[in-house]
Amino acid sequence: MSRKKELISNIGLRLDGRRAGELRRIRCKLGVFSEPDGSAYIEQGLTKVLAAVYGPHQVRGGRSKAQHDSAIVNCQFSMAVFSTGERKRRPRGDRKSTEMSIHLHQALVAAIKVELYPWTQIDVYVEVLHADGGIYPACVNAATLALIDAGIPLKEYVCACTASLANDDIPMIDISHQEEVMGGPTLTVAALPMSKKVVLLEMSQRFHVDHLPKVLKTALQGCVDIKNILDVTVSNNVKEIGSSTRWGNMT
Amino acid sequence: MPVDHKRINAPESAVPYKLFTKLNTESLKEQYQKAIRDGIRVDGRKPSEHRKIFLKTGIVAHAKGSAYIEQGNTKVVTSVFDPREIPNRTDYCLKGEIYCEFKFAPFSCPKRRLHQQDSQEKECSAIMKKALEAVVCREEFPNFQVDVYALVLHNDGSALSAAVTAAGVALASAGIPMFDIITSSTLAIQGEHSLFDPNFREELLSEIAIEKEHGVVILCVTSTHQQISHFHQTGNLQLNTITQSIDTLHNTCKEIVPVVQKCLVKSVLSVISES
Amino acid sequence: MLILSSEKTDNPARIERTYYLISENIRIDGREREDYRPMEIETDVVSHAFGSSRLRLANTDVLVAVKIEVDAPYPERPLEGKLEFFVDCSANATPEFEGRGGEELAVELSNCLSSAYRSEEVFNLKKLCIMKGRKCWKLYVDILLLEVGGNLFDAVSIAVKAALWNTQIPKIKSINVDGSNIDIQVCDDIFSCTKLDVTGAPLMVTVCKIGDKCIVDPNAAEEQCSVGAVVVAVSRGNICTISQTGTGSFHPDTFKSCLILGISVAQRLEDSLTETLGEIKANQDVGFLK
Repeated sequence: MSRKKELISNIGLRLDGRRAGELRRIRCKLGVFSEPDGSAYIEQGLTKVLAAVYGPHQVRGGRSKAQHDSAIVNCQFSMAVFSTGERKRRPRGDRKSTEMSIHLHQALVAAIKVELYPWTQIDVYVEVLHADGGIYPACVNAATLALIDAGIPLKEYVCACTASLANDDIPMIDISHQEEVMGGPTLTVAALPMSKKVVLLEMSQRFHVDHLPKVLKTALQGCVDIKNILDVTVSNNVKEIGSSTRWGNMT
Repeated sequence: MPVDHKRINAPESAVPYKLFTKLNTESLKEQYQKAIRDGIRVDGRKPSEHRKIFLKTGIVAHAKGSAYIEQGNTKVVTSVFDPREIPNRTDYCLKGEIYCEFKFAPFSCPKRRLHQQDSQEKECSAIMKKALEAVVCREEFPNFQVDVYALVLHNDGSALSAAVTAAGVALASAGIPMFDIITSSTLAIQGEHSLFDPNFREELLSEIAIEKEHGVVILCVTSTHQQISHFHQTGNLQLNTITQSIDTLHNTCKEIVPVVQKCLVKSVLSVISES
Repeated sequence: MLILSSEKTDNPARIERTYYLISENIRIDGREREDYRPMEIETDVVSHAFGSSRLRLANTDVLVAVKIEVDAPYPERPLEGKLEFFVDCSANATPEFEGRGGEELAVELSNCLSSAYRSEEVFNLKKLCIMKGRKCWKLYVDILLLEVGGNLFDAVSIAVKAALWNTQIPKIKSINVDGSNIDIQVCDDIFSCTKLDVTGAPLMVTVCKIGDKCIVDPNAAEEQCSVGAVVVAVSRGNICTISQTGTGSFHPDTFKSCLILGISVAQRLEDSLTETLGEIKANQDVGFLK
């Protein structure tokens, strides 16, 4: 049986022409919608995600859920039925989206200063419009931007990135759908890049434990790179909004 | 579509045998010409003639109020239950709600119906809900809902209209405060033919485009206030045809009112004589 | 001058009083009764889909994608393809849609769409047949509501029409029949596709009754004020579906005037949509980043 197609060619290029440590193009925008308190849109390669934040507001549903010392962060992950190559039957409610919601919650709670808003609830909704690998990282990054747009205090950016190991040796960053299905291991990391704290770590398939440090390092580097990109967008956005009141000119 | 795991269903690939009978080989136009010949319909009615209606209250002992309607061969049982708190609702609402469940019995149609509501039944439920909510004094029971169930025992056309009329009677007999009596009527249009109170076959044929203009119109009217509480139309019709059909259907609905009134008076009298 | 007040009846804690000067033919945002809010339409937004569109009507944002699959036709309609509408109310629009909260609205919208598209005069499903009784195309029209700012029915119907207009159906090169196996060969050339005929695709107009006057394109606040609305689906000047939303009732004369208003507005809408779609060029910059 012939070996699977190599993830990285001899000259060090990946299937879509990137180098091993290269991210896909990230484009993002804050404040896409007016109804939510904060919203954001992000494109990572072809993966497209919309995020909306409502709150902090009074706890909906049973009052018993409210916590006296922190805000509740309520996350819902949903995927448009047309987001994948083959049509999905349901946008949410299946096992994968429930798991995604939980993971998203885990990453966001680590970054939001929940202790500032006791007895309240913050809703974070993400909607995947186009899935092309790295859905979870795109969701986390979009949610961060939406939280910033909503003006909710964060400890710092929370960013996520995937990494893989090609040819049993070279760590690769930001895995696309094509590379996912070709079957390399995928390590997903959500981190607070400034304080270098990992808030979520998930891996599928396997590689030798000796490889873990370098793959993790690559993924964390990815988180830092993404943070820098997001930072530029946020400061541009602030300047743009501020330009109407002239405080954007201040440096 | 949700699958019913509790019961054994016919294999999914099964096809009704009627598709292979002689009747089905005729073209739709021939079938329609058979359905109406020289202005007389298959069951001997004139196009504008409504079928005879039989109405009776108090048919379901456990329900607060119930009604049974026979409109030709169409038979519907409706039952209304006591107001209860709206489930899974935490905030207060000023107006009560009506919950409608419209269901064809599995044996009511030529094709077997599943036990679960399909999309057509859900649509009918929604129409019924909107029609009934306009006649019930919903501010009398805030935060509560009234359950209305309609079960079609035999579907021979105009089942939804029959169900709405009967549900109105059932609500009244259950003592739910109402503004008015509600009656409903259906019209099936194909070309220049307008058939009142269509039977199953006529209804089916009017939904298919044989001529340019075709469609089914359902009108629900409150009797004293002369208000349209719900209007639903499908198919492809001109504006003139629709405005005409509103007027004629309105008259038909008026003709049903005495039947409903008589039935309600009868049920009140029987309650008095019992006590 | 008639001044109307309305309360959000469902939640006394959030009672809001809003005043409208409808009878003076001026609305709160300066429009007249028959005016629409500004609209923006894009096509070819979703690259996974065979056709797609995004419509923004003031604050209402709708994304529609059409996907095509090969399926077997219904046994009672061997000559026809299939058309299915699926509406998804994203929680991005409002937290009330979280979980299964938007399902009721979604079902109402998809029912109205499917009954509007049911007639053969409106949308010919026979064009979607590949082989009689054996194979046909099935069109999935998936509608995603991203933001709700009133007048959903109109927005959705326009977006659906644009998405169907944009849809490319692959050409069939050959069909091999071997017993019960049917092998379909689709044309290799990705550019040789057929477009759907959408001249009859209906546009829905919501005519909202406030006081004794009727308005079109209500915004969210106006929808709260009105007791009921008539949704008129118009195709080639004929009415293909009428449905009512809300719980109110209508006098027959008011109802008829609603229909007349609906048809005339739909005609205007149709003209401007055709014009706009004709102006759309390929490879235009689309999406949320603009």
